[in-house]
Amino acid sequence: MVESTSDGVLRAPLTLEYPFTRTTGPVVGGFLTGLREGMVLGAKRADGTVLCPPLEYDPISSDPLTELVEVGQSGTVTTWTWNGEPRAQQPFDQPFAWAMITLDGADTPMLHGVFVDGPEAMSTGMRVSLQWKEEREGHIADIAGFVPEEAS
Amino acid sequence: MSGSKQRAAVIGVGQTKYASTRGDVSLAGLVREAAYRALEMAGKQWSDIDAVVIGKAPDFFEGIMMPEIYLAEALGCVGKPILRVHTAGSVGGSTAVVATSLVQAGIHGTVLTLGFEKQSESNAMWALSLPSPFTTSINAGAGGYFSPIIRRYMEYSGAPELIGCMVALKDRQHALNNPYAHVQDHELTFDKVVESPMLWDPIRYSETCPSSDGACAMVLTDETGAEAHDGAVAWIHGTAMRSEANNYGGRNVVSPKASEDCAADVFAQAGITNPREQIDAVEMYVPFSWYEPMWLESLGFAEKGEGWRMVESGATKHEGGDLPVNCSGGVLSTNPIGASGMIRFAEAALQVMGEAGAHQVDGAKTAFGHAYGGGAQYYAMWVVGAEKP
Repeated sequence: MVESTSDGVLRAPLTLEYPFTRTTGPVVGGFLTGLREGMVLGAKRADGTVLCPPLEYDPISSDPLTELVEVGQSGTVTTWTWNGEPRAQQPFDQPFAWAMITLDGADTPMLHGVFVDGPEAMSTGMRVSLQWKEEREGHIADIAGFVPEEAS
Repeated sequence: MSGSKQRAAVIGVGQTKYASTRGDVSLAGLVREAAYRALEMAGKQWSDIDAVVIGKAPDFFEGIMMPEIYLAEALGCVGKPILRVHTAGSVGGSTAVVATSLVQAGIHGTVLTLGFEKQSESNAMWALSLPSPFTTSINAGAGGYFSPIIRRYMEYSGAPELIGCMVALKDRQHALNNPYAHVQDHELTFDKVVESPMLWDPIRYSETCPSSDGACAMVLTDETGAEAHDGAVAWIHGTAMRSEANNYGGRNVVSPKASEDCAADVFAQAGITNPREQIDAVEMYVPFSWYEPMWLESLGFAEKGEGWRMVESGATKHEGGDLPVNCSGGVLSTNPIGASGMIRFAEAALQVMGEAGAHQVDGAKTAFGHAYGGGAQYYAMWVVGAEKP
């Protein structure tokens, strides 16, 4: 639909929408299936270090990473930023911290939300614990978020 | 060879099994499968590769922006140059041409080049029919764009109505000799092709390409590498690319100037003066059946208006034809868009390497790989040979 405006400029809406699907493959698919079952899996590298979330191919050697191992459901915040006014399309509707969290038994951090009262309650090196959603479907959002370890 | 270009050759080809949905692998797993097979044939390790040149159709086909970055680990490319090529449907061919130029220029000794598409993750047909403000969208897809051009060819050449069906049957029968090909229809007959529903008059459903998941890769190397290689080699005798706008006054839509110029260039580089005589096997980009006779004419394999006679006489069949076209089954049997051009180039290489298996053209010494894209606007071609140029 074209509308004519007082400034003489023609305007028309344009909405582009495409449906996309993803084949997740055995490694990322394994990680997502683990979440549905209430466990967090990482990929074990040749030197024994664990990537969580897992990658299909080693970031240094490019070797296929096929061994998935369970890691802990508590971990350490390695860095964070405070989001005091979440916007409509962000994953949480309450103030939260975006945090990089290295789970116990993993050597790399994952990005997720930490729920505390305010930024003064956040610190690098703090311990946090994972909270699951009741209904899980094999998605990163099956993890409801993280809270300080002593509060869990 | 012109100027100070160095010689370049193909020493490895790798393809995935093509299918409508490769639900067993992620995008990374898909490209890895093709790349690994190309390395295996070349007898190379990841550490032997100096750079990766990768191509695919536009990003919105799968909805991953700049996927080459995410795929670097799967392609053994961490810490190495990776270059992405964008030329719509011809991209697989253009990607191989760019990779060749890096070797010919002496910039890299050994290059992995790869094209891919995972059409199951989106809907490329309608992604090509974007609505646009202030115009009416006819939502016709690629077939809707090409059908009037094909009609124009039929009228101009006087070709019998069922020539396209003959091409469709031929390529689907060729595909039965290629275990990687997507469409494998052992029950197909000429009558079934003809009776197939008319999608975009005059294009029947049976005369269109499928939507495929797949990847195709090649290892290219310089003269020293090719001579040291313990296995079959396809020497690159010429490469060319051309583009033109898809809509301008006086444009010959049936045989675009960019197509004719590109062919003239690549044949001149390869010393080919009579393509039909001197080329032993052709892998041509034919997503809609009628493009076989149209390209035969545009590329100089047939006189203008006569390409359909080659189809009708069986000249382009693997069995008994003097110019076998698409012995692999072609785009009509396998179409992972971003890979489709590279498959043409790779299949041409396999023919002169003598490694095409059941679809090998006996004694093929010189082969031609061809790709086109957009509104028949973008062209990439190469000539490969068993002998060093």
